Amino acid sequence: MTFAINLGLALLIGPLLAGIVRKVVRARVHSRQGPPITQPFYDLLKLLGKEDLQSVPSLVVQYAPLVAFASVLVAALLTPMGMRAPLGQYGDMIVFAYFVTIAAVAVVMTGLACASPYSMIGAGREIMMHLVVEPVLIICLITAAIKAGSLLMWDMAAWNYLNGPAPSMVVTAVVLFLALQAQVGKLPFDIPEADQEIMGGPFIELSGPKLAMFQWAFFARQVVYASVLAVIFIPWGLGFAFPWNVGAHLLKVIVLIVLVGVIDVVNPRLRIDQAMSYFFWVIFVAIVAMALALIGV
Amino acid sequence: MAVIDLLIGALILLTVGAAVTALLAKWRAVCGYVAFLFVAVASVWVGVAAFHVLSTGSPLSGAPVLTIAPLNSSLVFTVDGLSAVFLLITSLVAVCATLFSVRYMLVYKHHSLIRYYPILLLFFASVISVVSVRNMLFFLVFWEFMTLASYVLVVFETDNPEARRAGLQYFIATHIASGCILLATILLYTYAPVKSFEFGALLEGTRVLMTTSPALVHLILGLFVIGFATKAGILPFGFWLPQAHPVAPSPFSAVLSGCMVKLGVYGLLVVFTSLTPLSHFTTVWGVWLAALGTISVFVASLTALQQTDSKRLLAFSTIGQMGYIWLGIGTGLALLRISPAVAVVALMAGLFHVVNHACFKSLLFLNAGAALYRTGTRDMDKAGGLMRIMPVTAAAAIVGSLAIAGVPGLNGFASKWLIFTSGIVGGLEIPLFVFLVVVAIFISAVTLAYYMKFVGILFLGKLHVGPEVERREVPVSMVVPQVFMGILCVAFGVLPMLALKYLYVAASGILPPGYSPPFASLFGNSALAVRLGLSGVHSAAWGPLAILVAFAGCLVLGYLISRMGGAQTREVPMWLCGEEHDFAEVRYPAHSFLLTFNEYFAKLYPSIPVPRLPRPAAILRLFDIDRWFYSPGLRWGERIIRAISATHAGYPQLYMLWMIVGAALAVIVLFSMGGGL
Repeated sequence: MTFAINLGLALLIGPLLAGIVRKVVRARVHSRQGPPITQPFYDLLKLLGKEDLQSVPSLVVQYAPLVAFASVLVAALLTPMGMRAPLGQYGDMIVFAYFVTIAAVAVVMTGLACASPYSMIGAGREIMMHLVVEPVLIICLITAAIKAGSLLMWDMAAWNYLNGPAPSMVVTAVVLFLALQAQVGKLPFDIPEADQEIMGGPFIELSGPKLAMFQWAFFARQVVYASVLAVIFIPWGLGFAFPWNVGAHLLKVIVLIVLVGVIDVVNPRLRIDQAMSYFFWVIFVAIVAMALALIGV
Repeated sequence: MAVIDLLIGALILLTVGAAVTALLAKWRAVCGYVAFLFVAVASVWVGVAAFHVLSTGSPLSGAPVLTIAPLNSSLVFTVDGLSAVFLLITSLVAVCATLFSVRYMLVYKHHSLIRYYPILLLFFASVISVVSVRNMLFFLVFWEFMTLASYVLVVFETDNPEARRAGLQYFIATHIASGCILLATILLYTYAPVKSFEFGALLEGTRVLMTTSPALVHLILGLFVIGFATKAGILPFGFWLPQAHPVAPSPFSAVLSGCMVKLGVYGLLVVFTSLTPLSHFTTVWGVWLAALGTISVFVASLTALQQTDSKRLLAFSTIGQMGYIWLGIGTGLALLRISPAVAVVALMAGLFHVVNHACFKSLLFLNAGAALYRTGTRDMDKAGGLMRIMPVTAAAAIVGSLAIAGVPGLNGFASKWLIFTSGIVGGLEIPLFVFLVVVAIFISAVTLAYYMKFVGILFLGKLHVGPEVERREVPVSMVVPQVFMGILCVAFGVLPMLALKYLYVAASGILPPGYSPPFASLFGNSALAVRLGLSGVHSAAWGPLAILVAFAGCLVLGYLISRMGGAQTREVPMWLCGEEHDFAEVRYPAHSFLLTFNEYFAKLYPSIPVPRLPRPAAILRLFDIDRWFYSPGLRWGERIIRAISATHAGYPQLYMLWMIVGAALAVIVLFSMGGGL
């Protein structure tokens, strides 16, 4: 049952959230009508039936979209979404962090295998962004692990629900929110894809079902990252009875994604070096929060 | 026949093999196959002996082979759990590297193989001996054998000035290291209550010193650490490693990284568990070792990012990965007195990474070797996209790279996960470890980045090689070792409990009896999932099989979804936004791949203010070790060798004279040492 809930949230709510952001946030800011909120589903279905154009016959390009899709789903199964995660007994925060890394690796491998100069630049940028964004997530999770005395994500959430909010956890929550923007690949940090300058970067040579799988994986990834922040660092609603705890979780995720959408609409893209300087500061603050946790604050 | 006789038999076999291959050196291919045969049989014997120790849990010990009465020392071959682990690694790497050598060494048409196979076999024999003696005197003798043999193999390409220079640096660096170890040993020997080089006697020496002069103990431990850190390639002592690895023949680079640098870890564990009683010295030095390891992880991995030479990149990565091992072992030693459960897990994590690193780093050096064999260049800017012509090598390289980068489901992840987990939990006792772990985790993403570069540029993408390159896979004898190592990487990754069960025997064997908590309380009862229960409250879990099944299920789901629309595929040319370009014109070169990130880190260096010194030229000269140390050393060495060679004029009478004088000297020495017998 929990399998169904987590997969459902990731696969169905992910695209729907993107639709809500497009309709409610972006279209409103642009003062236009906007597409229906189910538009992402129509896009995905359309792409699945479209021709699959191959410029490089490569096994990597063939399977990387599936690997990205599957690893994001496994990460979703490892994340507690309002209740215990279905695979929570088989993987802790480090496993989770590595699985979201696999999705990034799949993107990079695709970019490298396509060998187009645009995709190579995109792949390089993807790695560099990952190098500065991933540590933030890990440091934040370690902070929670230190407070909870356990590396299992459900234990962290439960500790914060029962004993929180501690000052270090509050700082960590803010830091993780700052990183969320880049984790879900939104402006001002959509540097690896950067449609207007490098034509989608690693995905330039992809079309049809392959592009659909990557897009669906990224829709699901939004939910996964927002869930981590919501369940561990926003201690509210975990104690509700069954349908309501998942409902409360969903509400938190929607609020977070809409906030991310607002920031996305009103910001221009940063250059990669600017993004890196920004994240070095974020990492610094995250480490300070971790030090606070270590001294018991 | 006792099991330990297998080990001694293997040593004899390797020595005989060295003689046989020396005689066969003219027939190059035959010589290689014969060497492989000897190594294979010897490795199986050694492997059986080592596995016997790990499965029964009781050490093996033979009869004294040689006794030096005046020094109270006898050569006894002993295999305990710890040495069994290193014996298994050695036999594994030895078989693979020798099989790979058979065809690879045929490239060297103008070099006599008499300087390769015999020396290689002697090298393996000395490595096996080093880890199976419990007497510091013989340990040092075999250690020296190993160092000399490896030097000869590093400078195999004698006509290459780069190799000669790297070899000289290696020679001098490791001999200073050996000197440190020797000095520390002699210091311990002089203070030991029973004058003997047995580990037990030296342990008593340390115990005495701890109460009388603790400062001296720190000095001795420091000397040992410098010595073994040099061998293990830990920065700042391991500077020889990135010079020596690229110039050695590729199969021997695999042996260097997969097997020899690990002996630095073995030596370290011996010093801190067999030569030092459990005390606050262990704690203090454990913290130092972990910190040194993390520095190596950090510096070496960031340097590796900037390499375009494939084997140099792998050499820097070796330093980085050795850093992970030291982090694990340091954490373990530091926490031994504070929290034995975490400490045992950390020690096992370090040992597990030793095993795993032996698998994937020798695999990667063989991959790089295969690419070098085919293309003739190590420069990744000049060759790329080799997957088109070498699919199996490329697949093995992908497995190896993903394993070393720590992708879940492969072995590198399992051991890094243990290192990180024990570090985080250990951080509750000594907070420093959490920061070290954060650095290490950050760097594991960097590892991923430079291995993406290694695989991405060298194997994936469009084929980019010179016209003279033969367009086919390397020979079968070079493919088999790569595939074998690749399979091991997957096996240890999917079933970590398989390895952990045996590593527990090794780790608990080096601790005082009854000190380590039972296996099931640490790792749980399930054979398929590792569930760490450290002192009851802390928990962490890694169940590769369940996760991989879920992953496979999601892959199938994704496949079904992507086939849902029945999309047709069509071949099209690459889209360059309408502009016509020659591919070479727009190729993205290796050096610009992570340019921004590298520049960002480069910016960090000059920001440290350096005071202006009055005579900078003199200071610079001081740092130019080549100029005042290596080159004069080389000149003096040459002069001495000329002088010696002058005495070898070829007259038989002269040699007779030397023999008589030598025999007389030997007799005098023996009499004076034995007190007139």
